[in-house]
Amino acid sequence: MAREEVESEVTGTVWKIETKVGDKVAEGDVLMIIESMKMEIPVLATDDGTIAEFQVEEAEPVAEGQVVVVLDT
Amino acid sequence: MAWEKSVEEIRRRREWAAAQGGARNVARQHDAGRLTVRERIVGLVDDNSFQEVGGLTGAVIYENGVAVDATPAPYVCGLANIDGRPVAVGGEDFTVRGGTTASLDKRKGGQGGFSEDLAYEYKIPLVNLIDGAGGSVTSSKRRGHAVFPGIDSFDRSVELLAEVPVVSAVLGSAAGGPAGRAILSHWSVMVEKTSQVFAAGPPVVHRSLGQEITKEDLGGVPVAVGAAGTIDNAAPDEATCFAMIRRYLSYMPQNVHELPPRHTTGDAADRIEEKLLNIVPEERRRPYNMRQIIELIFDQGSAFEIQPDYGKALITSLARLDGHVVGVVANNPMVYGGAMDVGESNKQCHFIELCDTFHIPLIFLVDVPGFMVGEQAERAGVLRAGMRAVYVASQASVPVVTVVIRKCYGMAGMATCHQAGLNLRLAWPSAEWGSLPVEGGVAVAYRREIEQAADPKAREAELEAELREYGSPFRTAEAFGVEDIIDPRETRAYLCRFINAAQGRLKTDQGLKPRAGVRP
Repeated sequence: MAREEVESEVTGTVWKIETKVGDKVAEGDVLMIIESMKMEIPVLATDDGTIAEFQVEEAEPVAEGQVVVVLDT
Repeated sequence: MAWEKSVEEIRRRREWAAAQGGARNVARQHDAGRLTVRERIVGLVDDNSFQEVGGLTGAVIYENGVAVDATPAPYVCGLANIDGRPVAVGGEDFTVRGGTTASLDKRKGGQGGFSEDLAYEYKIPLVNLIDGAGGSVTSSKRRGHAVFPGIDSFDRSVELLAEVPVVSAVLGSAAGGPAGRAILSHWSVMVEKTSQVFAAGPPVVHRSLGQEITKEDLGGVPVAVGAAGTIDNAAPDEATCFAMIRRYLSYMPQNVHELPPRHTTGDAADRIEEKLLNIVPEERRRPYNMRQIIELIFDQGSAFEIQPDYGKALITSLARLDGHVVGVVANNPMVYGGAMDVGESNKQCHFIELCDTFHIPLIFLVDVPGFMVGEQAERAGVLRAGMRAVYVASQASVPVVTVVIRKCYGMAGMATCHQAGLNLRLAWPSAEWGSLPVEGGVAVAYRREIEQAADPKAREAELEAELREYGSPFRTAEAFGVEDIIDPRETRAYLCRFINAAQGRLKTDQGLKPRAGVRP
C-alpha cells in the first residue's frame, strides 16, 4: 500500500469536507471543497484508494501546493 | 576500381563514428537511463530516413600516415524525415567528452552550425536533441585566450524562430549554451528524472551562493516545467518524448510560407454534442472541467496541450476542427476561477505568437474573472504581464473566434478576443460579462449610498440584484455587443463552419509575421 499525498491546487480556505477517514474513493472523486476567488474549487482524488488522513479542517486557510489529504492506494 | 581503397576508408571511418565514445561510455549513458544520440535519432525519425552529414568529423589517430582509430566529434547531425516530411536534426553526443563543443572548422549544430543553417536555408523544421553542458573553461587554455561571449552566437537560432518550427528536447543535464538553446525554440520538452535544465548547475550555485542543491531540485521537471515554465512539456521517458515531438510537428507547417497540414479524422464537422448542454453548473460558484469541453468540441483526440503544468488557470492546446489546425486558449475555472496571473499571461503570450507565426487560427474558450488579485500577484507584476497578454492578442492577425463559456470580465477579458479584427464573439447562455464583476463592483461604485442605507447589507444585495439583471447575455446580443448566443451543443458545427470559411483568407497571409512595437 502506498501513501498518496493530495495537494490543493489553489490558495484559499477549506469550505466543506464531505468525506471522512476510511472512505473509499476513486480517482477524480471530490475529497473536499476549497473556497478561492469566490469559487468552490474541488480537491479531487489523484488515484483510487482510501482516505487515510486529513491534514486540514474546515475554515482553515490552505496554500497552493499544500498537502490536504493523504490516501492509501 | 580506382577508388576502392578510399571508399573502404569511408566505411571504416563511419564505423568509428558509430562506436561513439566507446563501449564503456555508451554503457554509462544507458546506465543513467538515457539513450545515445544515435539511438535517439533512430527513435525520433521515420525508419531509415536519417542521412547523416559530417559523420567523418573527429580526432583521428594516425600511425605512419594511416588512420587507425578515431574519437568522433561530440555532435551528430543531418537530414531526416518525420511523417514523410524533411527535418533537420542534431544532438550532442554525451558519450564523447560529455557532449562539449568540438574544435571543428565549422560547427555541426546546437548553437548555430550546419543543422541550423540547413533548417534555415531549406525552410524545414529543426529538432535539437540537447544533452550537453556547453562551454568549458578548458577551451581558453587550448586557444590561449578567453573567448568573448557570442563566439558561438545565437543569431541563427533567433532568426529560425521567425521562419521554421523549432523543437528542442532536453535529454540530459543542460546548463549554459545548450540550456539557452532549448529556450530559443517554439516548443520544448524534457524527460522526467533523467533531464534537468538550469542557467548554472549545482557546483556553480554552491560556489556563488553557498547553497547545496541537487540537479533535480534545481532544474528537474517539477521546477523547469512546473514552477518556472522554462520548458513546455514533460515526457515520462525518451520514447514518449520522441512521440510527442512527432505529434507536435504534425500540427506545424514546414515553414511560415505555407499553411499547416490538414488531417481529417472522420469526425463530422456538424456533430451535435449533447453533453455540452449540462457541463456548466447553473450555480455560479461551481467550476467545471474545461478540458472535457475541449475534448467534446474539437476533432476527437486532436487536442495536444502545450505547457499543461504551468500557469494552470489557463489551458493552451493545439487541436483540429474538421481537420484544420487551430490554437485553443481556454481559461480553467478549477484553478483560481480561471484568473490570469503572471504564469497564465506568459503562457498565453507565447502560445498566441506561436499560432500567429504559423497561421493557425485561434479559438478562445472564455471563463475569466479578470487578472489575479492580491499582494502576491501584484508583487509578481500581474498588471504588466496581464496587459502584455492584451497587447499580444491585439497584434495577432490570424482569424480569432471567441466563445464565452461563462465569465468574461475586465482587461483579462479583452485579451480573449480580437477587437482590431472581425471580432466574432459567440456566447453560451451561461455567459456573463462586464468591466468588473457585480460583486465587489457594487460596493465600490455605490459606497456612499450603501453606507447611508438603513440596512447597508440589504441595500448592497438589492443593488447587486438590480445590476445583475443587466448582465443577461441576451441584452448584449440585442445591441450586437456580442455577435451571437448559441446552443452549446452547436458549438462545434458553428466553429467548423467559420474555420473552413477562413481557409482562403489564411492562404493570403503566408509569410513572415513582423511585429512592430515594444511589448509592455
